[in-house]
Amino acid sequence: MSIFEYNGSAIVAMAGKECVAIASDLRFGVQLATLATDHKKVYKIHDQLFIGLAGLGTDSETLSQRFTFKHNLYKLREERDIKPSAFAQLVSATLYERRFGPYFCQPVIAGLEPDGTPYLCGMDSIGAQEPAKDFMVAGTATDSLLGICESLWRPDLGPEELFETVSQALLSGQDRDCLAGWGAVVYVITKDKVIARTLRGRMD
Amino acid sequence: MKLDMSILHTGLGASKEACGLEAVGLEAAMDSFPLPPVKDIDSFEREVIEYVKPNHGTTTLGFIFQGGVIIAVDSRASQGSYISSQTVKKVIEINPYLLGTMAGGAADCQYWERNLGRQCRLYELANGKRITVRGASKLLANTMFSYRGMGLSMGTMVAGWDEAGPGLYYVDSDGQRTKGKVFSVGSGSLYAYGVLDEGYNWDLSVDEAIELGQRSIYHATFRDAASGGTVSVYHVTEAGWTKVRGADVGELHFQYYPVPEEHPCNSVDPLAI
Repeated sequence: MSIFEYNGSAIVAMAGKECVAIASDLRFGVQLATLATDHKKVYKIHDQLFIGLAGLGTDSETLSQRFTFKHNLYKLREERDIKPSAFAQLVSATLYERRFGPYFCQPVIAGLEPDGTPYLCGMDSIGAQEPAKDFMVAGTATDSLLGICESLWRPDLGPEELFETVSQALLSGQDRDCLAGWGAVVYVITKDKVIARTLRGRMD
Repeated sequence: MKLDMSILHTGLGASKEACGLEAVGLEAAMDSFPLPPVKDIDSFEREVIEYVKPNHGTTTLGFIFQGGVIIAVDSRASQGSYISSQTVKKVIEINPYLLGTMAGGAADCQYWERNLGRQCRLYELANGKRITVRGASKLLANTMFSYRGMGLSMGTMVAGWDEAGPGLYYVDSDGQRTKGKVFSVGSGSLYAYGVLDEGYNWDLSVDEAIELGQRSIYHATFRDAASGGTVSVYHVTEAGWTKVRGADVGELHFQYYPVPEEHPCNSVDPLAI
């Protein structure tokens, strides 16, 4: 198994009408052994910006702590929250800094720009940005996730419909992957609030 | 008096058992599988093993108690980290009083256990009585031994009931054949052993034993990523086997943990930002 499959994860993000959703599974495992079912891979940067980090668990945790640190400094200097597009650039540069000894993570950035437009961006482990208008997936179940997202996604979904779509896509995708699953958490980000929900999924 | 020793002739290029297949021109296949015509058979075989890489991702178990034999299995097949099926039949019904489990290569298990059923039927016809579990497991083990080193992968339990009472044998593709009261095979077997050994007692009632088999498989499907799908439980008695459970493991979790947040694997609230 490759280093990206050591822990296992499934992340999906989708854009709707003036809202975005990002979701991850909850499994923490070491190869085939499942050790915990409360380990989410999505981290909040600020109320309108979340980052999901698929891949090696330790790198995912370390990177999220480094990004929180960098955003705290940004807030002190700029006296405002960072824009998603600028944050994507920050993530990309941080990853490329380690070009010859990379973090084994694939980020998915989901947020709302200050004017309310949804922002979605995926990256590989050395920072190549892949912006998207519809959905972005990462982790060990990408093949299954891409298939179901392609079928289920439609443009201009409202927050409730988007929640249903993202949930269905993640559950179906992770049910075809040995290394991801054991529960899920979904965040739907709108202009005024963030709705966080856990999903009841298969625990095998 | 000439003793009928035909039952001892099995494996590659051995005997010519009359089994009616000559009529359809298949007798050659019965005695010896052709070897590939390559220069270096050993390195070819080593390569081939990788191509037909079998999935050991499974949990199967079996145990004998006062009320007979319990066999319990999961139903997941995985290819690497991809789940290729959640509905695999891992209990092979050899005949109405003999069961075999599947772990390792699916094709190997299906073929050779079906072949075992053929051999058991021929025994009945030749000897006028049913074969013992001891005899059936020996036939399978001998077949496995004759193909030793050729890359077959099979870890099975042969369970049944004969005049000696309930019987349970572990047979694998290395040629091992072990009689026992409690076995578990597969990547999830260590998790199943934990629950099984703790709850096992010879004097369990039939219901308790069935529940123990189901619960052991459930716990293995939770911890082992390569096991899952549904739990199938079979009960073997003097009258033969019956399938007694076929629950979906996804639902079993919420039956055993009606308050899922209290499961020991949850120590942090996932919604806490």
